[in-house]
Amino acid sequence: MGRRHVLTSNSTLESTIDKILQNTENSVLSNIKTALVDSQKVLDDSIPKLEGEYDKIIADGKKEADKIEKQIIGSADIEARNKQLMALEDAVDKVFTKALDQVANADRSGDYSNLIKSLLDESTQILGTSEIVVSSNANDKDVVQSTLSQFPGSELSPDTIDCLGGIIVKSKDGAMTFDNTLDARIERLKPLIRKEIASKFGVGE
Amino acid sequence: MTVEGGVQYSKIAEIKGPLVVVDDVDNAAFDELVEVETKDGERRLGKVLEVGNGKAIVQVFEGTSGLSISATNAKFVGKVMEMPVSKEVLGRVFDGLGRPKDGLPDPIADKFIDINGEPMNPEQREYPKDFIQTGVSVIDGMITLVRGQKLPIFSGSGMSHNLLAAQIARQASVVGTNDDFAVVFAAIGVQYSEAEYFRRSLEESGALKRSVLFLNTADDPAIERIITPRVALTVAEYLAFELGMHVLVILTDMTNYAEALREISAAREEVPGRKGYPGYLYTDLSTIYERAGKLNGKKGSVTQVPILSMPSDDITHPIPDLTGYITEGQIVLGRDLFRQGVYPPVNILMSLSRLMKDGIGEGSTRADHGEISNQVYDAYSRAQEVRALAGIVGKAGLTEIDLKYMDVGDVFEKEFLTQATDENRTIEETLAILWKIVSKLPKNEITKIKDKYIDQYYKGE
Repeated sequence: MGRRHVLTSNSTLESTIDKILQNTENSVLSNIKTALVDSQKVLDDSIPKLEGEYDKIIADGKKEADKIEKQIIGSADIEARNKQLMALEDAVDKVFTKALDQVANADRSGDYSNLIKSLLDESTQILGTSEIVVSSNANDKDVVQSTLSQFPGSELSPDTIDCLGGIIVKSKDGAMTFDNTLDARIERLKPLIRKEIASKFGVGE
Repeated sequence: MTVEGGVQYSKIAEIKGPLVVVDDVDNAAFDELVEVETKDGERRLGKVLEVGNGKAIVQVFEGTSGLSISATNAKFVGKVMEMPVSKEVLGRVFDGLGRPKDGLPDPIADKFIDINGEPMNPEQREYPKDFIQTGVSVIDGMITLVRGQKLPIFSGSGMSHNLLAAQIARQASVVGTNDDFAVVFAAIGVQYSEAEYFRRSLEESGALKRSVLFLNTADDPAIERIITPRVALTVAEYLAFELGMHVLVILTDMTNYAEALREISAAREEVPGRKGYPGYLYTDLSTIYERAGKLNGKKGSVTQVPILSMPSDDITHPIPDLTGYITEGQIVLGRDLFRQGVYPPVNILMSLSRLMKDGIGEGSTRADHGEISNQVYDAYSRAQEVRALAGIVGKAGLTEIDLKYMDVGDVFEKEFLTQATDENRTIEETLAILWKIVSKLPKNEITKIKDKYIDQYYKGE
């Protein structure tokens, strides 16, 4: 009796186990199927997202590359331009120095006294008085002295000044001064002279 | 430029603040340039403010410290202050008076132009209607800048206006044309570190080659600040109307300019106006702001973005108040947004570009620009109301649509307004974000946009 019961029990157990196995298998298969469908869906959904991100990375990279390219080109342009400016300035300075040397060593006879006269004319007119004290450099003293005879009320200062040529005119009361030296005139015109010299080098034409 | 020099006077009657009173002066002219020579032979520039009764009042740009009545001479140069200009000024850095600050020689001048400029003939003015892309979404999308416009930025002390100014200077461009574009940047009374930041920022981004910088730092004499915007605008006008370039002029900080004006006014013992500023502050500011525009028959344009920091964030202060009368709108930076860490902290509800409507739309930006901008403005305004309501009744007391508007407000601030300082967004990218914001709302809430645009761009459910 007990033995039969064991046999019956074993068969029931086997059948139950089979059932459970079958159910588990079905469930696992179904889960795998669902997972497959789900993962396929996730994969399908992520493709456009990935493509979007890919495009964004490419676009950002291109933007960054453009930015770096602009930086490099910009810096190089500026550096090249600065070197060109320095080279030009150097050349202009050389021309200037040479021109000033020529002015300093120019012949003081002939036309030079006419120049001093016209500088004196201009100075007295601008100061509005002929009561003036005139200063010049040591080289020009004689020329200036001889020209002053045409300007009553004027006198030559015993002190000399350090300049290329020309005169400094002061009213006798000391209130007004007019610098009409060649140096001052050149300084006033320097920007225009620089432009003129630069144009000879093909700049600013 | 003349070969004749000026007369030097040695009778100084008085030195008062930034002013020198010269005695026994004949033939001086109003605004005439003056070279003041110290006893050490140092030369400082100034200009004639008043003449009469044999006296001339000279305003010394570089200050009067170290000058003495007995050993100072004043030479009246016989011309007004001029700025040497040529295309060579591009890529250069100058000080507040227009002298090179980059260690390079003076530019070879093509012309010498009076820094006070010539008023534009109103008859010759052309109505501004072309878009300038700044690459900053909130400006391009909601407060669009137009070529020839004057659009100030109203900021407060310590806020990020200088970052924004530098970003605009680096990124600004004209779209859809091959015309040359240039930026003239005038820093007025800024700290040395800020001036350095502007210079480095333009240099490193490669934008310096199309820019001209005028840097007047805080330790430079305050009086120089009167000149800085004028030399900058003189260069801008030359580039625009002689060379046909589109020029964006950024002036920061105009408050420092007005302070300098007040200093001179006080020294001249003029009757003070509001907050001690001179009564002619409006007229004086207009001589700067009105130098923006386009001229008939000329290719170029001058666009101005003056920046001013409002003392105590007070928009009724005379400087922003009078500026607002002259300019064509304003971009207002908000302290709350700044505190939240939003950059650029532009409060769009207080901002406005009066010329925007003419510079956007089909042919300029995109046909839907105006409508999407209006819709977002409306939605953000509603979001602010909802936020205020949520502060009282709590989020739980809000309706579903209220919550959507709150979401719109958050997305607007986090995705549209917030932008990295080196992020240059195209107008298409800006409009795409605006549509993303609007797409947070149900279609029936979208009342300012035509159906055809909704069908084309709306991405909500």
